[in-house]
Formats: sequence, C-alpha cells, structure tokens
Amino acid sequence: MAVKFPSIDYFNALKDQMAADQARFRRLGFIDTTFGIGVAHNGASRNFVLAFEVFELKNVHEVAELDLANLDFAIEGDLAVWREMIENIKRSGEADTAHDLNTLAHFGEALKISYADPEGHDKLYRFMESIQEFFDLSSRVEVAF
Amino acid sequence: MAFYADKDYTEDQAVLDAMNAVMQGNLTLHWFNAHTEKIRVQPKDQRRGLTYEDLDLGSYGYSSIPEFVRDEQSMVARGSEKAGKLPDMGYLVNRKSDVWSHNVTALYEESKARRWVPAVDVPWTELDARPLAAELETACSQMYTFAQECALVAMDFPSRWVALINQEFIELKSFMCAQMLDDARLLEAFRKRALYGGAGLGRASVSAEQGLKEWLWADSYPQGSLCINLILGGFTLAVYRQVAAFAPSHADRTIMRYAMQDAARHVSYGTGALRYHLEHQPDQRLALRAYLESAEHVMLALLGSPELIEPLIIICGGGIEHSQLKAGCAAVVKFLRLVAREYLERLSYAGLDRSGSPLARILSEITPQR
Amino acid sequence: MSYLSTNNFFEDRAFLDKWLYTIRTGELDLSWMKSSTEKVKPHAENPRRGLVYRDISLGSYGVEAIPEKVRSNRCYAPRGAEIPPGMPDAQPWVSRKSELWAHNTDGYYEEAVTRQWNATTDIPWNHLEGAELPEATGKALAQLMTFLTEVEMIATDTPAMWLPRLNPDFIEVKAFIAAQAMDEARHTEVFRKRALTTGYGLMQASPMNEMALKHLRDADSFSEMSVALHLVAEGNVLTLFRFSEYLSPTDVDKKIFRLVMQDEARHVGYGMQHFKWVLEHYPQKREILHSHLDEAENISFAGGAATELTEAFIILAGGGLKPENIAQGVRVTTAFQLKQMQEHFERLDKCGMPERKSIDRSKLFAMFEMGKAAAAEAGIKF
Repeated sequence: MAVKFPSIDYFNALKDQMAADQARFRRLGFIDTTFGIGVAHNGASRNFVLAFEVFELKNVHEVAELDLANLDFAIEGDLAVWREMIENIKRSGEADTAHDLNTLAHFGEALKISYADPEGHDKLYRFMESIQEFFDLSSRVEVAF
Repeated sequence: MAFYADKDYTEDQAVLDAMNAVMQGNLTLHWFNAHTEKIRVQPKDQRRGLTYEDLDLGSYGYSSIPEFVRDEQSMVARGSEKAGKLPDMGYLVNRKSDVWSHNVTALYEESKARRWVPAVDVPWTELDARPLAAELETACSQMYTFAQECALVAMDFPSRWVALINQEFIELKSFMCAQMLDDARLLEAFRKRALYGGAGLGRASVSAEQGLKEWLWADSYPQGSLCINLILGGFTLAVYRQVAAFAPSHADRTIMRYAMQDAARHVSYGTGALRYHLEHQPDQRLALRAYLESAEHVMLALLGSPELIEPLIIICGGGIEHSQLKAGCAAVVKFLRLVAREYLERLSYAGLDRSGSPLARILSEITPQR
Repeated sequence: MSYLSTNNFFEDRAFLDKWLYTIRTGELDLSWMKSSTEKVKPHAENPRRGLVYRDISLGSYGVEAIPEKVRSNRCYAPRGAEIPPGMPDAQPWVSRKSELWAHNTDGYYEEAVTRQWNATTDIPWNHLEGAELPEATGKALAQLMTFLTEVEMIATDTPAMWLPRLNPDFIEVKAFIAAQAMDEARHTEVFRKRALTTGYGLMQASPMNEMALKHLRDADSFSEMSVALHLVAEGNVLTLFRFSEYLSPTDVDKKIFRLVMQDEARHVGYGMQHFKWVLEHYPQKREILHSHLDEAENISFAGGAATELTEAFIILAGGGLKPENIAQGVRVTTAFQLKQMQEHFERLDKCGMPERKSIDRSKLFAMFEMGKAAAAEAGIKF
C-alpha cells in the first residue's frame, strides 16, 4: 500500500526499512542528529522533525513550525522538488548526482538549509552518507503524492 | 636531543636483585593497594557501547581536568597513582582551553564509527565503464592533486602537536590521531582517483602551498587549529560539497560524500575549540583577530589558486566549451559566496567577528560577467 | 618563529586581478593542463581487494621510483606531481629512503585501514555485567591494564612526531604512521576502559618503563626510533599480548588481546621489514643498528624489571596469591619472559642480524642465556 508524501507514514516507512537494513547503517556509523524537513505547497507548509540516534531513526513527528533552536538544521523546499527527488530515487534505486540532498541543497536554490548555528549545520555533512541512504530507502517504498 | 634511560638496567645490581626476588616468588605488592579511586564504569547506552563519555567519572573524567595542568609531565594515565621517579616528557601545551572542545569525545567516537575504506567503498570500475571526456578527466586529476596537497598539510598539523600536548588530554589526543588517519585516507582516495582516470597527476600549487605552510607553522596550537581545522577544514568541506554536487561520475560523488563527513568533523572540532578557547581566555579575542589580520590572506591563496579554481570551473560546467565555462564560472561564484558566508558564520559563532575583513569584502564583490 | 608566505595575497594585485578576470570571463589559463607528468592507467589487480596503493604504484608514481635521496621534492606536492618554481620548503628531516623504507609498507597501511576495529562497540562490554573477579586477579588485571594504557600513548606520540618530518614523497610511510597513531590511540582507549570496568580503577604508574620509553620519544633518527619502537618494544608487547590472551580471566579480555595483537603484529612487521631493508641495502649501517639495539634492549630489560608489571603478571598467570599460585605464576612468567627474548632474537636473525645472538654483542642475550639455564634447572619449558 502506498504511503503519501509528505506524511508521518512516509517517514515511518523509511524508519522500518532502516531498521531492516541495520547492518548497512551500522557500517556507516553513529548518526546523532535531529533535523527538520519542510515541504511547501500552495502557500502552506508541512513540517516534520526527525530524531536520529546511534543507528536508527528514533522518532518522527509533525510540527506546525520548525524551531531551529531545537534542531541541528532544517531542509526545506517545494513539494515539486521533493517529489522529483523521490521519483528519481524510485527510478534509479538511489538519488543520482542531480537529485541528491547535497546537490539540491548546495546553493540553497532547490532545497534550502537553515540552522541556528554552524555546529548544527555541519552535522548535515558529518552524517551525509547516512542521511542520503535513509532517503534512498524510498526506492523500497510505494510513495504517492 | 637523545635521551638515555637513567641507568643500564642489565648492570644495576639493585634492579637485578629486585627482579630476582620477585622471580623467586617474593612479591612486594607495592602496587596492590594503589591509592586511586575505585569505580566501575558501564555503558549508559548499550547500543552505543562503552564510550569515553561513560568514563567521565570522578578523578578519571575529562570534566575534572583543571584549566592549568601543572604537576603532570609524564605519561602517567590520568587518575592512576604516580610512583617513583618519572620522566619529564616535555609537554608544551598544558592548558585545557588551548585544546579542548565540548564535542571532542563525541567526535572521536563518531570518527571511529564512521570510517570508510577507499579501496573498496568507491566504485572505481564505473570509471572504466563510463570514462570522462579527456579535458574533464584532466580537470579532475588537477583538482585531486590540489586536494592531496591540502590533505598532506592537514595530516601534518595534528602530528606536529600531539606529542607536545599533555597526556592528561587523552581524549583530545585520541581525536587528533583519528584526524591523522582521516587525512591519510583522504590522501589515499584523492591520489587513487587522480591516477585512475589516466590523466596523471597535475601541477602543485605555489600559492596554496606557500599559504598552507604559513598556517601549518603557526606559533601556537590555538592559532594553528583555527587555521587548519576551522578555516582550511571549512574551505575543503565546501570544495568537497561543490565537487559532489557537480560530480562527473558516481566514483567522484562517492569519494566526496565520504570526504565531506571527515572534513565536517574536523571543522566541528575547530569551531568548538575556538569557542571554548575564547570562552575561557576572552583576552585572546584581540590577539586572534590580530593574527587573522595577517594570516587570513592565505584563504585567497587557496581560492585564487589557478590549480583549484580552473579545474573547478571545468568540473562545474562539465567541460571547456564556452557555454560550459560560463556555467562553471557562475557555479564557482556561488561557491565563493558560500565559502565566505560560512567562514564568517563559524568565526562569529565561536566569538570572532570578521565581517569587515578584506577577505569578506573581496569575496562579496565577485560577480560573473553577464 | 612562524613562517610567512612569500606573498601577502591581499596585496598581490597581479594575483587578485588574474583571479577575478578568470572568474568573471571564464577565460582560463589552462597551463596546468599541459603538466609534464606521466600518464598511467592503473587497475585493481584483485577486484575483491579493491584499488590498493600497489595498483597505483606505476612509473614515476610508484614506490620503486623513489630514489635513495629525494632531491626533487621538498614541498607538500604529492609524489609525481609537477613542481613549479616558488614552492615552500616543508623542512623535512628525513629525505633518505633507507632511513624509513620497508617492503610492504603500502600493504600494512591497506590492511590497517580495512582492519580498524572500534573499542567502543566491538568489545562485548555487557558481558562484564555481574562478572566479579577475585580481588587478587581483579587488581592484577587492573594493574596490567594501567601499565598498557600508560605506555600505548608513547607508541602514538613517538611515530606521530616523525610524521611531519618525513619527506612528502614517502606517502605510504606517512600513511602507515598515521594508521599506527590511530591503532595506538585505540589501544590506549581499550586498556583504559578495561581498567575502569574492573571495579579497582587504574592502579600504579610504571616509572621504570616510562624512563626507558622516553628514549623512544627522543630518538635521534627515524631509524633509531623504529628499531626501538617497532622492532624491539612492540615485538615485546606482541609477545605480552599473546600471553595475556592465554591468561585472560574473561572472554572480554581474550577478545581485547586478540584484537590488539593484530594491530601490533602489523607494526612489528613494518619494523622487521625496515630493519631488513637497511641491512640488505646498506650493510655499512650494521654497526649503527647494533648501537640502536644496545639501548633498545636496555628498555626491553626494564620492562621485565618493572616489578609492578611482573608481579601483576605472576598473579594473573598463577590465579592468585597463595604460595602454589605464585609458584605457578612464576613458572609461567619465566616462560613468558624467555619467550619474549627468544622471539626478539629470532626476529633479528630473520632480518639478517644473527650475530646479535652472542653474549659479547648483546647484554640482553647474556641475560637470556642465563635465564634459559635457570629455567632448564627449574624444569620450566618455554
């Protein structure tokens, strides 16, 4: 059954896939970061907070607004951008260079990175491989938009 | 400079007698009731294992290291009982706020957990299946040659200082060892990639190396860490992110994604260490500002190095056709602005304001020709 | 004392103008494209092993191409890169291959990178829950761990000090040293953690060992350091790890010693290969190596003479403090010490220095012979 993006169900589906692939995520190492995902559409925005700890996504919940004071960083963008990324992952098994998080967020044009302090910002790069492979798990999930 | 042990033990009768007595079964047990704190540590989080943070207890903990370490110049493990005549190891860095960062133990644990192996974790054979156009491959080789120079210098920095730093700061020294291996691994990955495509290594950069030597040979650890961990680390992190975003191959993207993880840890330490340093030695703010007045120009030496900037333009544009170079320049201008912004942000977060610096001014004035 | 680059780049108008022109117009100089470096095409000889340093050791980039005296590169340029005029001098102290080379250095490095283990997660610390050792064994183990955590950092500091002093052309050696630094930091960590899980905390420092090991740190040359550290000290410690694994009171300790001995064996391997390289290629250095060994073996003997270590070993080996435990412990410890010395001289023999096995050449060998005779008399086999 397809999970809708964006939704808690989508992130929980990825969470389950991550738990099933623990060997891979263990190999990548500790991931200790809490970040926000913002998906804008038609003037409104849905926001989610993802808390990763050790080797797993410990918790995900939806919030009205992303509070940078309580996040390491936030990644925000239009639904169209997120959709294109996820569809690319579905087609290729993983995001290609044009559609991975680093590329989309690099100049803040497709996806924007916000943060309260640079230390939090740098966590995106410290855990980049794990975060990307987390989103790449979308290839194993039926996603509807 | 050689040091010889204070005696020839094979000829010292007292030593031989003591040895013989023990080997006859007459134990002295002088160590048996050592006057040390008796504790038993265990993991707070079984998933994470037994971390250095779990050992941060009582007299053994890093939290109890004083600001000035005065009476520990030997190798004695922190918290153990000193005995007998101990040598002076010649430590020159004995002040906690010269080296410490609140996140150093976490970063050490992270560096161990997040290791990678260039030999097998990079999909090298994809470069055979889909080789790059000659000019693009040559540009990559040149960029990776430049990246090797930065990695060589970054590897030398912690190794220059580690033996001079007091043994009490064991967690920090361990992180420095992790940095050395991180940079050795980056050097390895960059060298392998530079050669694998068949273009050979490129040209070393005079401006970059002159500048890097200036930073590497900084007078003090705080100055050096500011330059190498925070500034050079931030610069290379930005380069790795840029190349990953425009990666001409899966191999390049893989290398740069792993590289950015390693670089980001070094930057995090550098930023945290500067912040800790200025929190505890606020007078140093003026001194470091003055230092940066003279040392900041090295950023320009790096950014302005044709051995970096030209291949980066080609990589970002995808080739050397006019339209590709134009696109590449536009991307590099954005890169320069990103570097400048993040440089100022990190310094500001740590307590140093450089918003009016010549570097900030120069970088803010750059725009590509339309 | 700090270095100042030859230019202040903020004031170098020509440099700035050229850079700005490049970015604004996209008109590139491209002179680096015509670099005179060799074009090679490596491939992975063994796909399961991946692309290793040996695969890229081709032509002018290869280790075979490094001359005995590196004259052409004193900056931070990677070996084989084009070196234009105006490069800074990295002031390397070691630019002679015979000072540091060893066959298979690249292999040791690649092995180190793939065999990194994690003292935090790869040791089953939870197996220690509720596991109480008797007081004598527990304290002896804590003392052994205290000694080991104390001395391992010397094995980090010492080679790390030399890393920036080595000419950048010796990339593989520098990489190996960096990996060794990390190995030893991990050893310091695991022994400290184990000591603090015994319930007895850390115990007493080992002054005799510290005094002796300072010699390693302050060695006059890389070769002297390597002989003392890699070959002699780490050779001794490798034997110590093997015996410790055998004597380990818990499966956790067995695992610790199995993992550390893997790392140690690599370091000893490098030390032996370097020693062999020098003897094979520079026979005129034989007497210099003998003089390095004279002091290194003094350190070795200090290790055996440090009673806080020997007594702890006896208690672990014998399983307690009763006279019969101590008697058994002495037998095992005697065997261990003789084994240490035997293996030391075997290594030297294998590397091409059989003449060290002579009481006229080596005081340690004289001790070994006396020890063997006493052991034979006591019926102790080793």
